[in-house]
Amino acid sequence: MNSTFRGGVHPKGHKELSREMPLRVFDPKGDLVFPLAQHIGKPAKAIVKKGDPVLAGQRIAEADGFVSANIICSCSGKVKAVEKRRTIAGLMQECIVVENDGQFTAIEGFGTREDISGITKEEILRRVADAGIIGLGGAGFPTHVKLAPKNPDAIRYLIANGAECEPYITCNDQLMRSEADTIVEGIEITLKLFPNAEGVIAIEDNKPEAIAAMEKAAAGHDRIRVLPLYTKYPQGGERSLIKVIAGVDFPITKLPADVGCIVDNVGTLYAIARAVEYREPLFCHVLTVTGEAVASPCNLIVRDGTSFAELVEAAGGIKEGVTPKKVISGGPMMGIAVSTLDVPITKTTNAVTVLGEDIVEKAQAQATSCLHCGRCTTVCPSGLMPQMMQDAILAGDLERYETKLYGLDCVACGSCTYICPAKRPLTQMFKQTKAEIMARKRAAAAGGKK
Amino acid sequence: MNAVLNLSSGPHARDKWTTSFIMHVVLASLLPTAVIGVIVNGWHALFIILASIVAAIGTEWIWCAALKKPNSVKDGSAAVTGMMLALSLSPTVPLYIPIIGSVFAILVVKLCFGGIGKNFVNPALAARCFLLISFGRVMTQFPLVDGISSATPTADLMAGRAVNITAMFLGNTNGVIGSSILGLLVGGLILWGLDIIHGEICFSVLGGFTLFMGLFGGQGFDPKFLIANLCGGGVVMGAFYMATDYTTSPVSRLGQLTYGCLIGVLGAMFRIFTEAADSFSYSIIIANLFTPLIDMYVIPKPYAYRKNAIRRANGEARLPLWQRIPKPVIALTLITLLAGLALSGVYTMTKDTIEEQKRAANAASYRVVVPDAETFETTAEIDAAIEALGEDVYGSKFGRAFINEGIVAKNAAGEICGYVVSVTTADGYEGNITLSLGIAPDGTLNGIAFTELNETPGMGMRAADPEFKDQFNNRLVTQFVHNKGGASGDNTIDAISGASTTSGAVVNAVNAGLDFFHSVMQGGN
Repeated sequence: MNSTFRGGVHPKGHKELSREMPLRVFDPKGDLVFPLAQHIGKPAKAIVKKGDPVLAGQRIAEADGFVSANIICSCSGKVKAVEKRRTIAGLMQECIVVENDGQFTAIEGFGTREDISGITKEEILRRVADAGIIGLGGAGFPTHVKLAPKNPDAIRYLIANGAECEPYITCNDQLMRSEADTIVEGIEITLKLFPNAEGVIAIEDNKPEAIAAMEKAAAGHDRIRVLPLYTKYPQGGERSLIKVIAGVDFPITKLPADVGCIVDNVGTLYAIARAVEYREPLFCHVLTVTGEAVASPCNLIVRDGTSFAELVEAAGGIKEGVTPKKVISGGPMMGIAVSTLDVPITKTTNAVTVLGEDIVEKAQAQATSCLHCGRCTTVCPSGLMPQMMQDAILAGDLERYETKLYGLDCVACGSCTYICPAKRPLTQMFKQTKAEIMARKRAAAAGGKK
Repeated sequence: MNAVLNLSSGPHARDKWTTSFIMHVVLASLLPTAVIGVIVNGWHALFIILASIVAAIGTEWIWCAALKKPNSVKDGSAAVTGMMLALSLSPTVPLYIPIIGSVFAILVVKLCFGGIGKNFVNPALAARCFLLISFGRVMTQFPLVDGISSATPTADLMAGRAVNITAMFLGNTNGVIGSSILGLLVGGLILWGLDIIHGEICFSVLGGFTLFMGLFGGQGFDPKFLIANLCGGGVVMGAFYMATDYTTSPVSRLGQLTYGCLIGVLGAMFRIFTEAADSFSYSIIIANLFTPLIDMYVIPKPYAYRKNAIRRANGEARLPLWQRIPKPVIALTLITLLAGLALSGVYTMTKDTIEEQKRAANAASYRVVVPDAETFETTAEIDAAIEALGEDVYGSKFGRAFINEGIVAKNAAGEICGYVVSVTTADGYEGNITLSLGIAPDGTLNGIAFTELNETPGMGMRAADPEFKDQFNNRLVTQFVHNKGGASGDNTIDAISGASTTSGAVVNAVNAGLDFFHSVMQGGN
């Protein structure tokens, strides 16, 4: 059996729906909407105003401070508005709306290959920052920040995350199959920043074609190897990968770089290669449109800002005779359910999953009291005690939750909720409690300053 | 697309397993045991199982309907409770026993504390203990073999008698309905394989029990002795089904090991040092009560905060194994060993003294029943006859009576002036009753004296009152008749009102002694 971490669950993959569908470019017809906050950190600042003409690849919002990222327009046209629009999170957030002229005219110099053999570390980081690259695995942490740890020489592993452990999603599988060489180039470029690091391409063993393609591409690169992983959720979680590859468990207060690891999604590494070598800023990425309720699930190369509705149409629309019950941005484990298809995808949206049946509805009908069966504790990849954490929350004992049970170390992977036979909303409670504790801390800190 | 989309916080996927599914698997895993129980014990066992399950389900259903709560019967836990209770009952109990037990289990132990997941002790076990206390007599009466109710293998074991392990394994013995070790092991191992019960609990129960039994059971690690003990007294049922009840066992792995060892050690301790054959139920109930305490203090640290993980993250070497064993485990092991050593030490030291005192009490009682005797002797014939009885019940019509000793009493002149027979019956309400019969050379019963009587004060204990005991004095009969109605005859003994079990057992014991006297001692003289 291939290496893995402790705990975890085996949700049904559903990857067969789309795994053999090759990537194809999808060009949207409607307006494109770019939320200013699509990354971790401060929202970007808009640098265009209503009526400005824009081109594909043009910067339309600028990073506000170090931990922030540029936002790049993905089509040519005219700025229609800078206003509040509904986003994936369900909130009304500040967005730049661009009227798409359908030409997709790119900026000058877009896509011209450059010789980067003598490129400096600073130049790599500058180009990554300029391109607005953020972690495409889902969290959206600005990549130029991640790639500039305090001590780059102490980094031992650069982990290219191709695990893709979320059910349904297959776009990275297809990306690895078709763009293996570019991904390896991205790893080579990134390894220039970390002289003592080894590049490890981690892929779950349910993707043999991707493993073969990456192995072929990595052949001859001394510092890069491919590591097949046992298929188990959340294998693609940063901490699970580091546990498997570096053998280290570390608290939530530390970053991967603190234990000598940098984890980047294969999509991010692909984007790094395109940005550094071809001067292509990040405005396209791969995405899977899937689910039992769409007519023909597919893997697409999509432009940021495209609406969910257009993507569902791209997949042949809703399957005849099926009423969609739930649409998820991302996969069913960590994805976010959206209230309407009239929201735009962002850089980190890796899937649109349209479900004809909402299992949560059914689960609510089957819910019982907690049995104390302990299944949640065996699946927790962090070794937490979800059952006790739940009791602490219900008893209102946040002190115990935080200090005795280390509740803040929950990575919200959802394994406990998934496995619970009593169908308790555990992860949901933990997310909420974590937010509450953090809010109280901030309030206390603010009060202290006064 | 105009459909209204569902919103909820992730994850949006759920495992197929539900509470109800797990409960039904547990129920199914008990079927082999139940089937063997019915085959061995007959249809009445089936009726007991059905009555118990129906009563459990019915109680929960009525509760939910009466309080207008959502119907919780379909989660299957009531049926499991009913089944487990039935399997831990004697196959001879009248049907009101499982019904009362199930109602108690579901209503008092489960529903009154908040329903599934809220009870503080295992409902089936609590009901069993409730029944044992309330209906001790019927609860401990096991099937009649050749017309006499005989001891369970566990009782035999505790009394130091030989048992048939193969029969125990198959369940073809006197005991509760679910006493087939084969069936329980099959079901239990399936549940363990499906990850429904925690191996940490069942194997630490069995391990703790075996270790303690081996260390302090007085027979060392004799495999036959250990296996026989494991197969009896509900140890396997307890380990796989009762102790593993989710709600009343700790959540953490270390907590489960602690809890399991506690049960195993307590069970073995009770088995060795006490006389209750049902002690395993009590040890699980006691451990249930410790569960909240264990859960409060035994909280494993997340992986990242464990000593070795911190060392690893700092690039240091792992600690050696002995430094990784949690301190509470070492402390608990030491405490257990010390307690066991102390107990078995005291037991061994006092055992001889107790024996001596017993012997002195016996001798004193012999003098009471044959007052003019000077010396007490045994003869080779009598000893041989007692030897021949082995450890079997005496005769076929005296219940569970055992002949301890036959004595010839002589006066100062060396002439035979009487005989003494010491008899023990296991049919007392609260356990064994031992008494001595003093018999004149012509067969007249001088009287009886008790050397062991632990019956209920004010009831069975009144057997020692002259009012009852003196009825035997100076009567020349071959057999007494236990008379509950009040009619009197030459050979009738009036029962103690309210304690017919005790008085019946005494009459049977006396009759056994007389029979032994007539057939062995008088004849052989």
